[in-house]
Amino acid sequence: MHKIADVEIQHDIMVANKKLAQRNQRILDKADVFSIDVLGAIGSGKTSLIELLIDRMDEKIGVIAGDVISKFDAGRFQKYNVPVIGLNTGKECHLDAHLVEHALEDLPLDEMDILFVENVGNLICPVDFDLGSHMRMVVISVSEGDDTVEKHPLIFKDADLVVINKIDIAEAVGADAEKMVKDAKMLNPDVEIIKSSLKTEEGLEKIIDSIKRFKENI
Amino acid sequence: MHELSMADAIVKTVLDVAEKNQAEEILEVTIEVGKLTMLNPEQLRFLLDVLTKDTLLEGAEIIIEEIPVEINCLSCNYKGSTNLDDSDHYLMIVKCPECDERNLEIVTGQECNVKNIRIEKPD
Repeated sequence: MHKIADVEIQHDIMVANKKLAQRNQRILDKADVFSIDVLGAIGSGKTSLIELLIDRMDEKIGVIAGDVISKFDAGRFQKYNVPVIGLNTGKECHLDAHLVEHALEDLPLDEMDILFVENVGNLICPVDFDLGSHMRMVVISVSEGDDTVEKHPLIFKDADLVVINKIDIAEAVGADAEKMVKDAKMLNPDVEIIKSSLKTEEGLEKIIDSIKRFKENI
Repeated sequence: MHELSMADAIVKTVLDVAEKNQAEEILEVTIEVGKLTMLNPEQLRFLLDVLTKDTLLEGAEIIIEEIPVEINCLSCNYKGSTNLDDSDHYLMIVKCPECDERNLEIVTGQECNVKNIRIEKPD
């Protein structure tokens, strides 16, 4: 004889990721490492910004470089002689807390003050996956179009710092950087917004100050 | 865009629970998907169909329930549903329907929950 049974599961995949993320944060806290998620569109300047920060900041920095199938970004950071783990998501569009957990195992956390976790270039999927970092920085640029913020509201809703990059070419690409600032403020009234040109280094000092301020306040 | 990894996690969860409960057949699976997740229910359903081939889950009815967005307004303490006017996707997470303030916390709408299964098992 057989019977029909209803079995409660209540297993939220998002919550499972969140729990792993919390565990990641405990590991980072224990090692006294301040971790920053670097999210943003493809080609917005995420890697370039981290390179500049490694070069200019006095703190000891490490990087987790997420890429879909390549190790190009990890290779760029290795030139700076800092600890780097290149993570391939293998066709997935985002990093998740489980991947980051494994990267943390391989990093010399005791020798680091700040960890940058560079996500895959994508303004959509990473929103659903907390990684356990202390700060979320979203890097976009004017060349993606000044409607980028309003088209991807959720990633800006959760951001601590928004960097609007390449403002030196805003006029050439017909983008209104102020509109992007306004849209981000509407979605997230408390967010800090810095307009930058990593090419001329405009805004770079402000980004460094912002990171230091967040680091002191956790 | 990440429906495949979510579908994979759902299938693993269900098969694991089914095995622990000595299921011989899985008749029904109910999944809750929050309206604010970046998951498209139709794509999720398609990938679940693909991934369940030749497993105990093949042929089971997949029920996807959408979880609406609820917010908590930090200005006026309003708790509840938000403006669900689909013509403006902003409103949902931007303005409190009570006081129009923008200081909001999202309470529900971000889930991907394997809620329950209906199985057939030996008596």
